[in-house]
Amino acid sequence: MAEHSYPTRNRREFIADAFCGFGAMAMASLDAQAAVKSPLAPKAPHAAAKAKSVIFLFMAGGPSHIETFDPKPLLNQLHGQTRPKEFGEAKYQFVTPNAKLLGTKRTFKKYGKSGLEVSDLFPHTAGVIDDLAILRGVHGDMVVHSAAQYQLMTGRILPGFPNMGSWVIYGLGTENQSLPAYCVLPDPKGALEAGQPMYTQGFLPAAYQPTMLRNGAKPVLNLDFPNGVTSSQRKETLDFLRGMNEAGMKAGDAELEARIAAYDLAFRMQAEAPEAFDLSKETEATKEMYGVGKASTDDYGRRCLLARRLVERGVRFTCVVSGGGPGNMQWDAHGDIEENHLRMASHTDQPVAALMKDLKQRGLLDSTLVLWGGEFGRSPESQGTVGRDHHNLGFTMWMAGGGIKGGRAIGATDAIGLRAVERTMHFRDIHTTILHQLGLNQDALSYMHLGRRERLTEVHGEVIKEIV
Amino acid sequence: MKTQQTALLLCILVPAQILAETTAPLGTYTAVERRHWSFQSRSTPAAPVFSTPADQAWAKNPIDAFVLDKLVKGGLRPAPEASRRVLIRRASFALRGLPPSPAEVAAFVDDRAPNAWGKVVDAFLASPQYGERWAQHWLDVVRFSETDGFEYDNHRNGAWRFRDYVIQSLNADKPYDRFIIEQLAGDELDPNNDSLRVAAGLQRMGPLRKNAGNQEVASSRTEVLTEMTNIVGAAFLGVTLGCARCHDHKFDAFRQSDYYRIQAYFAATHDKDIVKASQEEQDKYKELAKSTEAEIRKVKAEMKGKDGPELTALEEKLEALTDKLPLPLPALFSVENDFKKQTPIHLLERGEYTRPKDKVGARPLGVLLADGTPERATLPENPRSKLAEWVADPANPLTARVMANRLWHWHFGRGIVATPNDFGKMGLRPTHPELLDYLGNEFVKSGWRLKPMHKMLLMSNTWKQSYDSPEFAKASAQDPENKLLWHASRRRLEAEELRDAMLAVSGKLNAKLGGPSIIVPVDKELINLLYKPSQWAVHPDQAEHNRRSVYLIAKRNLRLPMMEAFDSPDLQISCARRESSTHAPQALEMLNGDFANLMAEGLAARLTKEAGSDPAKIVTRAFELAAGRGPTDSERSLGIRFLADSSRLREFALAVLNLNAFQYVE
Repeated sequence: MAEHSYPTRNRREFIADAFCGFGAMAMASLDAQAAVKSPLAPKAPHAAAKAKSVIFLFMAGGPSHIETFDPKPLLNQLHGQTRPKEFGEAKYQFVTPNAKLLGTKRTFKKYGKSGLEVSDLFPHTAGVIDDLAILRGVHGDMVVHSAAQYQLMTGRILPGFPNMGSWVIYGLGTENQSLPAYCVLPDPKGALEAGQPMYTQGFLPAAYQPTMLRNGAKPVLNLDFPNGVTSSQRKETLDFLRGMNEAGMKAGDAELEARIAAYDLAFRMQAEAPEAFDLSKETEATKEMYGVGKASTDDYGRRCLLARRLVERGVRFTCVVSGGGPGNMQWDAHGDIEENHLRMASHTDQPVAALMKDLKQRGLLDSTLVLWGGEFGRSPESQGTVGRDHHNLGFTMWMAGGGIKGGRAIGATDAIGLRAVERTMHFRDIHTTILHQLGLNQDALSYMHLGRRERLTEVHGEVIKEIV
Repeated sequence: MKTQQTALLLCILVPAQILAETTAPLGTYTAVERRHWSFQSRSTPAAPVFSTPADQAWAKNPIDAFVLDKLVKGGLRPAPEASRRVLIRRASFALRGLPPSPAEVAAFVDDRAPNAWGKVVDAFLASPQYGERWAQHWLDVVRFSETDGFEYDNHRNGAWRFRDYVIQSLNADKPYDRFIIEQLAGDELDPNNDSLRVAAGLQRMGPLRKNAGNQEVASSRTEVLTEMTNIVGAAFLGVTLGCARCHDHKFDAFRQSDYYRIQAYFAATHDKDIVKASQEEQDKYKELAKSTEAEIRKVKAEMKGKDGPELTALEEKLEALTDKLPLPLPALFSVENDFKKQTPIHLLERGEYTRPKDKVGARPLGVLLADGTPERATLPENPRSKLAEWVADPANPLTARVMANRLWHWHFGRGIVATPNDFGKMGLRPTHPELLDYLGNEFVKSGWRLKPMHKMLLMSNTWKQSYDSPEFAKASAQDPENKLLWHASRRRLEAEELRDAMLAVSGKLNAKLGGPSIIVPVDKELINLLYKPSQWAVHPDQAEHNRRSVYLIAKRNLRLPMMEAFDSPDLQISCARRESSTHAPQALEMLNGDFANLMAEGLAARLTKEAGSDPAKIVTRAFELAAGRGPTDSERSLGIRFLADSSRLREFALAVLNLNAFQYVE
């Protein structure tokens, strides 16, 4: 069934623009042919695109809006009191109705030409504030991690639906056939609540699955030859295999030709992908900018730097996860917001800002949309004495690059940060905006499954017009 | 936005007792809605007759007559019959999910008896591997898994028994109507029958969300009931009933009230784990668990009223204690009715449990009933049996058609209705409606038994066509999807078939039947992505790692990368039709993956043992094992040339496992 048939670019168009800007310009025509047959061959978007790639800086566990980008002086004044009635009700995972409001210890300052306020958790990010569109009125539907993570990643509160990365590569293919089209760089500290299913392609064909890049020198599974096999030996095996397969094939057998092409691509991936993962090619100055080599920032810095290398080489969608393992190793600050957020911010602030600057100086920011945020924010009330619970009614995310207009804040929560009250934005509006910048139409990007035309945005989302 | 929020607030504030007590009106259905093709009773169409001797000879059974009729009208001819080697390989994968052995192929090729083909089909249907293969199809449909999914992805004690129940039911050729009733209501039929209790585990097969903290009991219950309801529509009725959960179905004649009236049959259904262990074993368990359980009770008591870091610490303690408990005793994963805990069923606005509307009682789908058929205001003592009787009634226009179509889909790669879970308006229309009705009638007439249906399909000329056809170019231009069945479709092996075939060909397959599921080694980094890596407890006996894929654990949050790459379903939602995609990670998996290389080593050793060191003999044997035929001349000479360097035997074996001739069935 051709539920989703875009005209694939013709070969001349493909060769003309598919490989521009990165690597191997002298791509053999054989390779280009192979790429055309791949389900991940580049496809034209529905409309003119401003962004070509997406990097999602996923702050897992739910960073506090109140401690970061959404200052609430009244909350400090009301510290220790129960929530005044006029703010209405809220449901939390742990906090009980009689919990006391918790002021913040963070201090806020205005930065950049835009004069947007950023807390002292993010001094580096504050330096690029004029590139960021701060979305203060975001809300989701779920207050527990797994369901909220599914909604953020897939638009649905249940597992089984494709991640936005899978949707994007389904819609657009990818520009570098030697690298995975959609990469997830998980936090090596451990798993997240929604587990693997939140990243996967759900009911879409396996060609649109994510590639989990593992920590260490060999990020992709099965990219190395087995022990004792050399590249030249393997090349001989592949030539033999190709000969055998072609011996039994009819000319013009598209499916089996695609299979041969997939083997060619796999071999190329083996030859070329390791270079993309090799951070030693970067200058000392670049590594230092990302905080590589400094204990607190080394891990996230390396992964942000890798994300830039991937985008540079045409990878379509990259998710860089901060947080993993037990809740307190994520942004999930139930016990002590101060301790948790100081630590998590110290891991990520410098790398995130470095990524922004690096993309910009290389001319990649215009075509790379960066999204920052978690599956929810945190409660204005205290959990225990100094912790904050999950909170989905109003919180902050930010977007930058890829045609997003920075240096502005959109939407607002009420005076204690409880509820998004002005220019509210649901996850589906975030998804719609990302698709829009990529030139994808939320209705046209669909897939027939169990009798329903499924989309990333189940209910229609709205483009956040103020920032595009 | 504002008013929505206010409404939401009101709903949260309204105490649960003040629910609407009006009963939702019964749905009404227009004549047009009732006329939808799949809601009509099955007709008894006469098989077309043909005038030419060639057509008469080909259309020897009604299946062939219905198929040939459309072909002739479309100006196409059927492809010639495939060779015996092709036929036995196709049948072996179709019925057993495994390649035929070279001895089986040779015996069939040499069998001059007129019923040679029928004997092959009978033998495959009688083999225990038939149930293993066909169970996987059904397990896809009911999204069988042995873990909860979501955050904790807890392992479900004894959930593997459902898999064995399906295998055994298929091998015994249990009538499908009985199979339905057992799965929907086995516990009601006989609570003392273990097999029936296991069958009723269907009600618990969906993902289950559990999380720490303030549990939303009503929300969790709604999710559980949703899973139970939706699968009735998807698996048995082949309709997208789930779409009517939030609003009247947008395309089909299912009102929201119909959805909740089906759900009402499950209102009293609750989880039940039944320990199956001797008194002695139970005593021993109690003794071992006693001190830990006492500590658990203590921690649970301490947790009351606590929050913040104190609670977190206690939760961690509780988790550590739970890990210390001895392995759970064998149990049945089942359900029971508990009428004291019956959930009042209401229409839920937008499907949200916070927005209950009119209440409803149990009733089957209104569009299939006479207008005004009353609902059951109170539940009978065996509510799910009542639902099952309606589903499995031979007169139900959907049930027999849906299963006959699934059979067709699994044999031909495309159903007569190409959307096997959607017989509604948005699904595709049947390509051969008369044939579908004929098959439905035959299915019911045969006592709802699958094996006679398989036999009928496999004996047909339609099934026995070759992939190649003298009219290939013309026919594939006219009918590229092979809707008219002008030739046999070719398919890539499914993930499980591919893995099992690699085991079989390399001589490493452990053919043991049944029992608890096996956890095989996977990359450490993948295990570390689990919330609880200790859940991935690799089976200590390596021989168990070579069991058939149907016996590997079905874990929602960790599927084997090789299976994922080859489009195995995600275990979250009913899967009626697998994708078959082609992409580079499959090649990486099959060339560099540990499993592929282990199997290549096994195959290399087997080739040395069975064919010695003569390259020509090795190539021949390799093709017999992997492709069910000898090599062609060019394949032979290429193989001999490659094997001139004898150190390449292992790479040769790996290449064989990557051949189209191995990975595809014609």
